[in-house]
Amino acid sequence: MKKFFTVLALAIVVASCNKKEENKTTTTETDTVATEIKTDRIVSLNGAVTETLASLDVAGNIVGRDVTSTYPADLKATDLGHVRSITAESILALQPSVVFGTTKDVNPNLNEQLKKANIPLVLIDQEYSIDGSKKLITAVATKLKKDNYQPLLDNISNKMATVKTFDKKPKVLFIYARGAGNLMVAGSGTPLHSMIELAGAENAAAALTDFKPLTPEALLTTNPDVILMFDKGLQSLGGVDGLLKIEGIATTNAGKNKKVVTMDGQYLSGFGPRVGDAVVELHNKLQ
Amino acid sequence: MKKKVAVYKVSFFIVLLVALVTALYLGAYDFNHSVFEIVSTYFNTNTHTADSFVLIELRIPRILMAILTGAALAISGTSLQGLFKNPLASPDLIGITSGAVLFAALTIVFGSAVMHLLPAFFRYVLLSVMAFIGALLTMWFVYKMATSNGKTHILILLLSGVAITALTGAVTGFLTYISTEEELRNITFWSLGSLAGSNWWKVCLVFIVVLIGSIRLLSKGKILNALMLGEKEAAHLGFDIEKTKREIIIIVSLMVGCVVAFNGTIGFVGLVVPYILRFVFNSNYNILLPLSMLLGAVVMLIADTISRTIVVPAELPIGILTAIMGAPVFISILINYKRKLK
Repeated sequence: MKKFFTVLALAIVVASCNKKEENKTTTTETDTVATEIKTDRIVSLNGAVTETLASLDVAGNIVGRDVTSTYPADLKATDLGHVRSITAESILALQPSVVFGTTKDVNPNLNEQLKKANIPLVLIDQEYSIDGSKKLITAVATKLKKDNYQPLLDNISNKMATVKTFDKKPKVLFIYARGAGNLMVAGSGTPLHSMIELAGAENAAAALTDFKPLTPEALLTTNPDVILMFDKGLQSLGGVDGLLKIEGIATTNAGKNKKVVTMDGQYLSGFGPRVGDAVVELHNKLQ
Repeated sequence: MKKKVAVYKVSFFIVLLVALVTALYLGAYDFNHSVFEIVSTYFNTNTHTADSFVLIELRIPRILMAILTGAALAISGTSLQGLFKNPLASPDLIGITSGAVLFAALTIVFGSAVMHLLPAFFRYVLLSVMAFIGALLTMWFVYKMATSNGKTHILILLLSGVAITALTGAVTGFLTYISTEEELRNITFWSLGSLAGSNWWKVCLVFIVVLIGSIRLLSKGKILNALMLGEKEAAHLGFDIEKTKREIIIIVSLMVGCVVAFNGTIGFVGLVVPYILRFVFNSNYNILLPLSMLLGAVVMLIADTISRTIVVPAELPIGILTAIMGAPVFISILINYKRKLK
């Protein structure tokens, strides 16, 4: 029995190692061929990309999406879940002709597996700025060979031109919440930091980088005038009343004046084609 | 008794085969052709269709990885239980897994600059060597802490495991804090484990390690049986105890490290499988060692297949499933233990 196992397993390994060599040659050949992309079945692993695709009138071609692709709401694509836990198999099951994602989101394993499967993978290096959004739109449109993207860029520029400056910049603190036990603030380098600055305000947590846990002391030292949250985040705390119960919140200016602003998560932090509208809305809500 | 063992071996083997064939057909992707057709077309044409890619590059390596991982973790657990003469000694409980995770995480965060330059196979080798070193260091520490005068104090053994796990948790937490989001994702993966990244290179590497490791461990049945009498008694029977201990420690570290390096923490298999077998065969390591490999492979393959299929098209982390299966058994071990204390 033992011997049989050993022989069987050895045979498998020998076979697999041989096969590996053959594979290498085929993938390198196809890397160069894959420049022409068919766009009839698209999988989008990023909310901003999905929005862009929809704005370019190809929403109907999207067959798969990740959990952040919440807009447009009537999208008829299979939800593959969180981008980090998506597997190559579930993507391949949708028989995509192209997969869109951002370099930050797609993990190296998936990247490697899709490359080997000869599925064209378009990775966009998303920057959280107006230019970044424009670049993303241009990159997606170019890949799709669409030239009707200029109005999208113009819309962003026009909206941004309407944003006025505040006389006195309000200090805004973004709190990411998944229930009261899990609170993070957005420091610099986050999309929310960029949004707050674009709206003409000041990020109260700018001294921190990335998302950092919220502490009562930090709340007091930063003393924000406004607290900014995602709609769902505030819901998870049980509304404004729930938020005020969190230690330290009630003593801040924002807490005293009950100045809490909420917006849809993807709208506020997605940096897609709606970024201009989102900045204007945030600016108006901060007034 | 011999007959009974053979019956178990054969039935486990059959279950493994059935699970294997089922696993081949289950998944997010539905094949248009039978597995046999897909494989034969691939070998005739030598180019991948979507079907053959999913089957040959994703599903088969993953299934083999599950089998190897299960077998490796289970036989490691059995050997450790024999070595420490206690059913609670398993790679995850005494901290070896955490040690391996820590070193793998350190390699990812601080080695990312070098890693990109290496070809895939050497990247995997580096990662598993580092995880092996992590496993070996913890194993050595825990062993030194818990053993005095040839006796293992199970309390100290388990508490050292707790200490190591806490330390590892702290350092990995700190790494998470300082790392960029990209590296972070690679670290969080370790905590619950996943076989999704399996490919033929990894399978090859793990296979070689598991093959060599298990051949060595399988020959240790007699010595582990003798060890149950006590170390002196075993030495009087003519066994070189120190050498055996060293060998088991190194092999287990190597196997656990290698498996953890690619699949993250997969708990409870090393604890539960030997424990279940002990119900049937008591503590005869000649029987436990080979059977634990088979049962470990079966359990892991089934767990992984469930994890792939239960929330299609997404995937449930396999650590959740093994914990669900393992925790009740763990509790029953504790209850038994309590009874014995009375």
